[in-house]
Amino acid sequence: MKIISSIAGIVFPEFPNQGIGDIKNAGFEDILLDLSVYCPGKNLRSFETKLNSEQTRQDFDKFLKGIQSKNLQVTTALLPYLLRDTKRTDLNELLLRIGKDSIKMLENMGCKHIIARPLYVGVTFDKEWEINKAYYLELAKECKKEDTMILLQNQCKDVNGHLVRGVCSDEKIAVKWIDELNKEVGSKRFGFCLDVGVCNLCGQNMQDILVALGERVETILIKDNNGSVENKLVPFTSRSTDSNTTDWLSLIRGLRQIKFDGQLVIDCEDTAKNFSPILRPQLLALSKSIMDYFKWQIELETSLKKYHSIVLFGAGNMCRNFMKCYGEQYKPLFTCDNNSSIWGTKFCGLEVKNPEELKKLSEDCGVYICNIYYREIEQQLKDLGVKNIEFFNDEYLSSYYEGRLKRRQ
Amino acid sequence: MLKIGVQTKTVINHENPTEGFEQLKKAGFSCVDFSLNEYLLNKTLYAEKLNTFFDKTQEELQEYFRLFKECSKKTGIAVHQMHMPYPNYVPEAPTELNAYLRDIVAVKSMQLCDYLDCKYIVIHGLKLARYLGSEEEEWKMTEMFLDFLAPMAKEMGITMCVENIYICTGSHILEGPCCDAVKAAERIDHMNDKYGAEVLGFCFDTGHANLVGIDFERFIMTLGDRLKVLHIHDNDGIADLHQVPFTFTKTRENKPSTDWDGFVNALKAIKFDKVLSFETAPVLDSFPVEMREDALAFIAKIGKYFAEKIENK
Repeated sequence: MKIISSIAGIVFPEFPNQGIGDIKNAGFEDILLDLSVYCPGKNLRSFETKLNSEQTRQDFDKFLKGIQSKNLQVTTALLPYLLRDTKRTDLNELLLRIGKDSIKMLENMGCKHIIARPLYVGVTFDKEWEINKAYYLELAKECKKEDTMILLQNQCKDVNGHLVRGVCSDEKIAVKWIDELNKEVGSKRFGFCLDVGVCNLCGQNMQDILVALGERVETILIKDNNGSVENKLVPFTSRSTDSNTTDWLSLIRGLRQIKFDGQLVIDCEDTAKNFSPILRPQLLALSKSIMDYFKWQIELETSLKKYHSIVLFGAGNMCRNFMKCYGEQYKPLFTCDNNSSIWGTKFCGLEVKNPEELKKLSEDCGVYICNIYYREIEQQLKDLGVKNIEFFNDEYLSSYYEGRLKRRQ
Repeated sequence: MLKIGVQTKTVINHENPTEGFEQLKKAGFSCVDFSLNEYLLNKTLYAEKLNTFFDKTQEELQEYFRLFKECSKKTGIAVHQMHMPYPNYVPEAPTELNAYLRDIVAVKSMQLCDYLDCKYIVIHGLKLARYLGSEEEEWKMTEMFLDFLAPMAKEMGITMCVENIYICTGSHILEGPCCDAVKAAERIDHMNDKYGAEVLGFCFDTGHANLVGIDFERFIMTLGDRLKVLHIHDNDGIADLHQVPFTFTKTRENKPSTDWDGFVNALKAIKFDKVLSFETAPVLDSFPVEMREDALAFIAKIGKYFAEKIENK
């Protein structure tokens, strides 16, 4: 799985090097080139001229030199798009021309995944497929490299200011389109990019969408919003009452279920723009940590496969959830707990032992902390000389018990 | 012309139903959506509590609503649909409470539906995806609940209607059970084939659909004649406000932010011939008492507007 940062809100065309450096210094190796940075939706008309202008060539040269000097890859790009509330219904041909020109340029950069939003402005319900089929097949003709993929993306549409489900937001339709397009071109040229922000705006069940799309999903655009305004915020920053606004559980469940191994892209343009340039390096470091966390959550089971045997630390709700989801396949030798009153008892079929027992473990045994006080317990285990300390987390599991344990000292 | 209905909640008092029925008739309604859920509130159930209302015997319940039934007949206002109390299952609650909801509350709701000559009862799907891990597993539990009631529904000639409902992350609303029209259609057909009768149908809730950005037109067209019941109401796309259609706008152009055109077009396309029923009880709480009659008449008038648009050849 690749972890990627979008350049939006971070890299600016005239002086791209600072943003590129910030991305690299945060630990990213790969970036998403969002062409709307060079061509905002409101300026599409002028972009066509700009795209072939000397100034744009110079801007892209600067950008390319910047990423080359930092050894960054550009494997994914997003083609320019229209604003959601645009009233212009005559720009679809322009979008096609810009798309075709951009594909040539992107292939030269080594870009393999090109996200092209479906056409929707001025497209009636009954013509959606017909118009988009022609559009995507025309774009495909521009691809000269065998492994270039064009990714369709779920959209919302603007109903007088209210964003509702738009083209390709219905996973069944998206599946049908991708399969028919691939059949038409005779290769796996088309795939899907899921925009998490759009799903959140439309209150969609991302698990169901991902499971239906399966291996067609190549890229996930991770961003947060408040559920009604299409902002691009750092994940976990939008909170509503007592919970995250975005249903990360549904996303992670879905990605695990399809064994996702594609591009995980963070797009936090609005948060980045809100931050002072002085603070942006710290923001990007946080973004990288968040993306690593997503990867870790999605691949949670991979960690369990690393060890010949495992032991748990904690005999509470998290231990119970571990046993429910992984207990059968990765049965721990025992669990331990600092609560001496439960030593020697059984919990979820495991003997509860004194943490001192961990000193006797073999080299190839992993110790999984099943308690939210990770760092405190980690220190305790380090002090005991325990090796192979791992964190377990039950925030995004495949299933849960109804209710929490009533007993807790 | 299509009939227009509204909830009984906040209008009809079971002790003196005459006044409420007369009020509805005067306002222009010809049907009601019987709010049985008023008698065992969801707030109570989520607090894992019950009341004694459904401890009454079937005969006692019938006696309780006898006058209601008489007034319905007298005024010619039919009980087109009924809302079963919800939720039908409370995760984390004691087994006895959930057994009571199925064995007593659901069963007596069906019997009351039959007693009031009502042919459609709206039943919420169980909200269990978080615990069980997927919507498919969740549906299996809902299906078990419906299977329990289906023989009774068949015998009584009642169609149980599942409704598109939502779940929340904090105060943000996300799609919940029955928000996928394709799956809903397949499941309805499967159950009706299984029982050899129309035991299951759909209740489309415009407000809930608006909250999770569902495309009204596609959804209704996919359901086709499986759509039996409507819950018509409006909101701001953020909270489940149950307000009058055409109330909300989001731009200075002041065009409605709910897709009422799509709603009308789809009902026209599927030749909808049931009742345009409004789930707008909260409107009557927001208007002053002195204006309730006007508010009701206005809602009925919107219903007539919809009816004309839908039936316009």
